[in-house]
Amino acid sequence: MTAPLLEIRDLHLRAATQRGSAHILRGINLDIGAGRIVGVVGESGSGKSSLALCLLRLLPSNITELSGRMTMAGTELLGLPEAQFAAWRGGRIAMIFQDPMTALNPVFSIGTQLVDVARRRFPALDTKAARARAEAMLGRVGIADPGLRMGAYPHQLSGGMRQRVMIAMALLVQPDLLLADEPTTALDATVEAQIVGLFESLRADFSGSILFISHHLGLVAQLCDDVVVMYGGTVVETGPVGSVCADPRHPYTAALLACELEDAPAENDGSGRLMSIPGDVPDPVVTQAGCVFAPRCALAEAPCEMPQVLRRAPDGRQVACWKAVS
Amino acid sequence: MTSVLRGDTARYIASRVATTLLVIVGAMLLLFALTVLVPGDPASALLGPQATPEYARRFIAEMGLDQPIHVRFFRFFAHLSVGDFGTDVLTGRKVSGIILDVLPYTVILTFGSIGLAVVLGIPLGCLAATRPGTVLDTVLAVGSVAVIAVPGFVVAILLLLVFSIWLDWLPVLGAGRAGDLGDQAVRLILPIVALSIGWVGFIARLVRSSMLDVMGEAYIRTARAYGLPSGMVVFKYALKNACIPTLAVLGLGVGRLLGGAVLVEIVFARPGLGRLVLDAISTRNFPVLQGAVLVVVVLFVMTNLVVDLCYSAIDPRIRRGG
Ligand SMILES: Nc1ncnc2c1ncn2[C@@H]1O[C@H](COP(=O)(O)OP(=O)(O)OP(=O)(O)O)[C@@H](O)[C@H]1O
Ligand SMILES: [Mg+2]
Repeated sequence: MTAPLLEIRDLHLRAATQRGSAHILRGINLDIGAGRIVGVVGESGSGKSSLALCLLRLLPSNITELSGRMTMAGTELLGLPEAQFAAWRGGRIAMIFQDPMTALNPVFSIGTQLVDVARRRFPALDTKAARARAEAMLGRVGIADPGLRMGAYPHQLSGGMRQRVMIAMALLVQPDLLLADEPTTALDATVEAQIVGLFESLRADFSGSILFISHHLGLVAQLCDDVVVMYGGTVVETGPVGSVCADPRHPYTAALLACELEDAPAENDGSGRLMSIPGDVPDPVVTQAGCVFAPRCALAEAPCEMPQVLRRAPDGRQVACWKAVS
Repeated sequence: MTSVLRGDTARYIASRVATTLLVIVGAMLLLFALTVLVPGDPASALLGPQATPEYARRFIAEMGLDQPIHVRFFRFFAHLSVGDFGTDVLTGRKVSGIILDVLPYTVILTFGSIGLAVVLGIPLGCLAATRPGTVLDTVLAVGSVAVIAVPGFVVAILLLLVFSIWLDWLPVLGAGRAGDLGDQAVRLILPIVALSIGWVGFIARLVRSSMLDVMGEAYIRTARAYGLPSGMVVFKYALKNACIPTLAVLGLGVGRLLGGAVLVEIVFARPGLGRLVLDAISTRNFPVLQGAVLVVVVLFVMTNLVVDLCYSAIDPRIRRGG
């Protein structure tokens, strides 16, 4: 395997809350290969959005600690001064947010917003050239009559259209890494399928890597090359998506998969939300000595009270469970 | 789609203009009703008990007060709609001329004050919002609350005492010599400051709070995530959103400002609608009072119309019709 585009090592994120210090990310390790589509799955509250925001260093004001290493193409991102890192946002890293209804500014036209982003990224472009690029990109993401839509305001577009606009914005800056934080969760099922189709079609002409965050393992299996399973602010399992789904080694991954199967068409509420693992995700304010999943794990035994770290198996997959490795 | 958009905008403007006209007609109706409903006989109310019966009769005939009500009603509207407010009983001058003489003083005082409040209030609000919790923010908060709390005429008297009498930097009273623009401008400084200072504080507070709300919105995070320079994020992407509630308040504020202008005009001994209304009340000069009140109403609703149109220019979501 060639050197990954992005290497994250022992990433910790803490925030001050009224109930005490919340340990939101508890030592994340993961690699994103160049040109790979990497899916991140996990229940609500497992820290997926926080991970994406760390990558953009775009964190809320109550964050007290962000430590570890994030190395992208040889540059240590956490060490960069803010003034230098600013160029990475909307430069080599771009993000698509979960809720397209609120992610676009209501009082500026789509065109204005796209042109501002394009010109920030490519200062040599004049407004006319930037408009032409933005218009072409709207066409690329499947918006009919892009010339006219440039003048539209967000409230005049449907949710699916707005998400297409967000995708166009991300592609416009030609990033090396595209972060997509549950880009289809806020959409209804048919529109979701269209947006997933759009992501699939990106393989043909987008050369960067994609970090695709989702609740929904089935979606990740359909779209991604690799999968990262997150739980309680840690990574519990990673590997190529096909082999992880065929042979889940962490009990949490297995439980997620079982839920998806149970959740299949009849009961699926369309949101892909998982409801069937008994118990709750760990509270980030509570420190936990042993395996983060042990309290909900049907297979928990005495050794699970020891901390579990990701270990690499001979086939390259990584699992944070002593049972899987032995 | 563009044509749909234009249609929406046109319909919105048409509906706002129509409501504005309706409000003006409503105000005229109310004024007419007052002339009818004023207790007692209008001539003696206007002329006072000393007038000889003969003079009163002549006056009633001249004013058309002896006509049946529907005739008076049509006359009233016919005259008003061509800008004829009747004749001043005391001086015999046309009321419209009297009003036109003083109108510019009030208009420049009021709109100068709004302008100053906006020009100072918005940047101060942005300044505070981008540094919440700092010493600067606290100082601005205390300053704003202080100037909001002190009534305009108190500020006016204080300014007069300090700058005109004590420091002797600025002229004391009056509007300045006719034709001498420099003198008139200098004499506008204190009245405008007195009238607008509370509004500077008010707008600064308003812009600060709506700016803080807006800065927490997802679309601002988007702008940041795409690395837009912070000046652009604050003054373009956030400010336009934050201006919307401020504009709404400005529309209402014009009414309060016109009210405040009366006091300021009196304290600084300036001519203006405020003085005119006050004098008309104290001399029971009904035609002048009527005309002046109607002009104030028209000024108020027209400003609100302009504010509403600005509103729709800023916020595309309301163009779809109120
Ligand atoms: N600024 C913050 N202050 C305190 N706690 C936070 C903060 N940001 C996130 N958290 C907590 O961290 C945990 C992870 O949040 P995050 O939004 O990253 O989860 P997620 O996996 O994206 O969930 P979802 O699927 O619902 O989007 C949650 O328990 C959340 O309450
Ligand atoms: Mg999330």
